[in-house]
Amino acid sequence: MTTIYIPTINDDLSDFDKLFTLWNQVNDDNLNVTFDFSYCYFLRQNAVAFLGGLARLIQNRSGMVSFNWDSMREEIRSNLGKSGFLNSLGHGGSFWTGNTIPYRENLTFEKRNVVDYLKLYWLGKGWVNVSSLLRDAIVVTVLEIYINAFEHGESPIGIFSCGQHYPNLHVLKLSVADFGVGIPSNVRYFFKDDSRFKSLSAASCLKWAFESGTTTKPNGTSRGMGLDLLKNFVKINKGRLEIFSHEGYALISETQETFMNRDSFFEGTLVNITLQCDESYYRLSSEVVDEPIF
Amino acid sequence: MKIDVFNIIGENCITLEDGHKIYDMIHPDLSAGNNVELDFENVKIFASPFFNSAIGQLLKDLKPEDLNRLLKITNLTATGMSVLKRVIENAKEYYSNPDMRKAVDDVLLEQSQNL
Repeated sequence: MTTIYIPTINDDLSDFDKLFTLWNQVNDDNLNVTFDFSYCYFLRQNAVAFLGGLARLIQNRSGMVSFNWDSMREEIRSNLGKSGFLNSLGHGGSFWTGNTIPYRENLTFEKRNVVDYLKLYWLGKGWVNVSSLLRDAIVVTVLEIYINAFEHGESPIGIFSCGQHYPNLHVLKLSVADFGVGIPSNVRYFFKDDSRFKSLSAASCLKWAFESGTTTKPNGTSRGMGLDLLKNFVKINKGRLEIFSHEGYALISETQETFMNRDSFFEGTLVNITLQCDESYYRLSSEVVDEPIF
Repeated sequence: MKIDVFNIIGENCITLEDGHKIYDMIHPDLSAGNNVELDFENVKIFASPFFNSAIGQLLKDLKPEDLNRLLKITNLTATGMSVLKRVIENAKEYYSNPDMRKAVDDVLLEQSQNL
């Protein structure tokens, strides 16, 4: 049995490196792992979602995973209990309350489940003081994160998400992780017949995924506008969207569109989105329905 | 023909499968040159896969000018309309670019063989 010590994990870039180091440590067959929290003082929602994924990854690769619950500080245990994480990982615990947006595992895309999660748990507590129409608009946008993960991710263990409301900062954060093939792999595969794209960097692949309307879909339809839609929404909201996939990193904010390669590697895709809760940051453009749409 | 989308799909129009239901209902009429109205009253949540299969793939064998004339979209929320417009833009590009279409079709074929 290998003991892996979970450090304190916030959501700065170096914290994501810590997560990907953990992924590297457990990404193997037949591992027996105990997660120990003796040196962990804080876990943000990105860490909770990712940790759940790591546990399922170990199990999926014929390993065994256990949590040293006794090593956990009371505040962390309490937060993991409220988020439903303890319950999902078989350690009982009370159901969700407070500012925590529940930890969620989705092996398949069940539209009602995902929509309800976003509507009722992420936005539904009145944290974002907007009309139901605007709330639906946010759900429509963030839904594209899930749809992208399910359509492109090929994650054998599904999708993991967790969120948090930060009342003092007036922001909502949501993290969605899949443990599939990653965006760069999909983009390079798409261009497999074009030798120029074999050496395309992970950062370039992410940039392409954001800019192009040409990803692939079943049934002879084209799409790929999900990330584009998200990008526009985050800019309007003065929010922040970060995507980690392979060594690629994308940061979208009102003033920034950064795509870069980093030293740490994660084969799947981790999306971190921050939205402002202030209603003044939301506006919906009125669309003229009568003009030709085709 | 008028179709009440809420009655058929419900308030969440998200999946490819649901989109296909609508496509299968409207494609024959539109191909025959008949007018169709898609009424989205009470539909609240939209996602691109739904619009891709319901409406985007109409552009495979129908011309944009014919669709503008024959297909009427009513009571769609502003958010729904913005998703739909992007889907249509992408679909037009896809169906008008043979190289892109072949590249996509190749990938789809391989994907289907791997399922």
